[in-house]
Amino acid sequence: MNKNFSRKYLGIPYILFLMIFVVMPLLVILYYAFTDGTGQFTLSNIARFFTDPNTLGTLFYSFSLAFVTTCVCLLIAYPVAYILARSTFKSKRVIVLIFVMPMWINFTLRVTALKEILTMVEGNLAFHPFLNSVIGMSYDFLPFMILPLYTTLSKLDKSLLEAAADLGADDLRTFWKITFPLSMPGIVSGISMVFLPAMTNYVVLDMVYNSTYIMGSLIGSYFSAYDWHNGSMIALILLIIICLFSIFTNGQEEVDARGGSLL
Amino acid sequence: MKTGIIKNKLMLLTMSLMEVSMLMGTAGAGTVEAKASDDVITLRVCNWEEYMDLGEWGEDEIINLDSGDIFGEKALYEEFEDWYYETYGQKVEVEYSCFGTNEELYNMLTLGNVYDIVCPSEYMIMKLMNEDMLVPYSDEFFDTTDTNNYYARNVSPFISNTLESHEIDGKYWNEYMAGYMWGITGILYNPEKMDRETASSWSVLSNPDYYRQVTIKDNVRDSFFAAVGALKKDLLTSSDFTSDESYSDNLMAEMNDVSKENIAAVQDYLQDVKDNVYSFETDSGKADMITGKVVANYQWSGDAVFAMDQAEEDDYYLEFAVPEECTNLWFDGWVMLKSGVEGDSEKQKVAEAFVNFLSMPQNAVRNMYYIGYTSVISGGLDGDMVFEYLNWNYSADEDESDVTDYDVTYFFDDDAEPGTYVVTTPTEKTRRQLYAQYPTEDVINRSAIMEYFDTDANASINQMWINVRCFNIEDMPVIGWIFIAAAFIVMVIVFINSYNKNKLLKAKEVKKED
Repeated sequence: MNKNFSRKYLGIPYILFLMIFVVMPLLVILYYAFTDGTGQFTLSNIARFFTDPNTLGTLFYSFSLAFVTTCVCLLIAYPVAYILARSTFKSKRVIVLIFVMPMWINFTLRVTALKEILTMVEGNLAFHPFLNSVIGMSYDFLPFMILPLYTTLSKLDKSLLEAAADLGADDLRTFWKITFPLSMPGIVSGISMVFLPAMTNYVVLDMVYNSTYIMGSLIGSYFSAYDWHNGSMIALILLIIICLFSIFTNGQEEVDARGGSLL
Repeated sequence: MKTGIIKNKLMLLTMSLMEVSMLMGTAGAGTVEAKASDDVITLRVCNWEEYMDLGEWGEDEIINLDSGDIFGEKALYEEFEDWYYETYGQKVEVEYSCFGTNEELYNMLTLGNVYDIVCPSEYMIMKLMNEDMLVPYSDEFFDTTDTNNYYARNVSPFISNTLESHEIDGKYWNEYMAGYMWGITGILYNPEKMDRETASSWSVLSNPDYYRQVTIKDNVRDSFFAAVGALKKDLLTSSDFTSDESYSDNLMAEMNDVSKENIAAVQDYLQDVKDNVYSFETDSGKADMITGKVVANYQWSGDAVFAMDQAEEDDYYLEFAVPEECTNLWFDGWVMLKSGVEGDSEKQKVAEAFVNFLSMPQNAVRNMYYIGYTSVISGGLDGDMVFEYLNWNYSADEDESDVTDYDVTYFFDDDAEPGTYVVTTPTEKTRRQLYAQYPTEDVINRSAIMEYFDTDANASINQMWINVRCFNIEDMPVIGWIFIAAAFIVMVIVFINSYNKNKLLKAKEVKKED
């Protein structure tokens, strides 16, 4: 009895934390998203979002930017994680560290340095805004892709690979039939860690090349014009998109986990 | 600014919770508390970031002037605490905090943060006046016979005339606002890559010769001003217009034109600018100039001074030009808030003394030295220390051959004969820091203040800005639509696939159970 009581007590800080930093802001956003300047309930904010060619265009632009960034990250991170997980280097941990270490350096510094390097290579950054945005974002988010992939791949049961080899599958076949499907959970969590921030994290873009305008910048513009209502609506819609995305990918994960157990 | 809003709301909530608990906690000892708060008056100040000398100068940084050495030991607001105690025998404590943009300050105020005295720009002051949030300065504050009234005694006549001659809702600015810093806007450029004539027009922003080599400010008001200047170039520079009796008033009306047609024209123009400039920036422009990424940069005068100083350290010279059409004259000033000082005459006295302390000529010089902007203080009744500083900073060495007499009389004493306040300076300086920090009188003549727009005009200007900055879906190339269609098809396929797989698995499980 006594033990139970004290356990409940331990939960209180978390509940408080959740209430203050998760539930409250959400309620505030909800309130602003569905009211107008006078505090009356309105649906005009949501109507405006889906009829204004500017918000839709910016949504599309952010979406493609995030999509390309995620693809680039995945293409770079997968081979790295694969090689690291499969290698028998003693210094494996050191190499992982090299990829993770940039996260320890303040990102202002990193992005400023990146800007100088890109300028050196390209001459004038403004000629390739989309490319530079992708490079900046990928550089910033790459560790978030490598880590989950590395974890999943290194936990992969080696006996499955040996069995495949015994049954006569070549390396490529083994990869597509076993390694890749089993690494799906890592891929999914990597994607959700890169894709979602890449749609809104305009601070990186501001520092690399300030003329790219994405959803986060749009919310910022509304807020600095004291327009909480339209800004909150955009934030809410992004939240819903993200939720849908998570539900969708979670479903995927479940199927694959079960598929794995069936093997 | 962008993420701070929710945080502030919450802070408000937690703060009020804390206050409640404090009230409950101190209810028993109420009398003791009240007495203690009588002893020390707390002044809550909110200022721009990096906008006040914070002391701790190095030994070699002493400024030697005829009327005394100037050295920054402690932060000015800390020295104010000592000064106030010595002068009035009352202990005060300054709670100093900072804001990043005018809008951020306004959001902080409306979300419930309480300050006694803050330092926004003139248009935000107009907004605050219009919303009746400010307390006017007392009559004693303007009494020049009191030697402690450094502001009234030393403010530049040019500034006080300007503040006295502008009103909103029938209230004059100077009743509510004590100036702090002022300046203009212009073009900072690299003289090796751009000639001065090109830089002296707002149309440099859309000049195809400098494709992707110029930056513009990333805020709606500055961009709007520049666009209007460029669009009305022919009118603004015509001799009929400039020689008109009411030139200043007409100029201000033209630059603050918020008619539908003008806003639409500005939107078109800024769209062209967007396709031509290197970037929209708030802070990175200075660094991009110094490292040579861009050749010209729309800049505020104080930041231009800072950038030119920085560049000079690397033996690299930048110059400042003021567009021939018009320049934006701006002020930052101290205003007292109703939420903080109303009904508390003791506190109002401290707040006014704070402004006076900052207006002491030596403190004005310290601020100018530290932040690079121009103080509104000219020295008036308390000697010519500011002018001495100007000479110390800019006057030519005796062996210099190419010198120019630079007249700033309008700023120091408008009744004096022209030529009373003249700095003899190397000619190149008249195109650099000196020109940005103390522009010539003809620059001032073609300057206009940008007003605070009413709610409707403000909304349409902000919408215009969003239209400019956003990516319009109507401009999307065909490949974009193909991309969307492809993404959609892929999603559908994946979904159907996983649905089928799921069904299959379930069927298998059912079989197993059987």
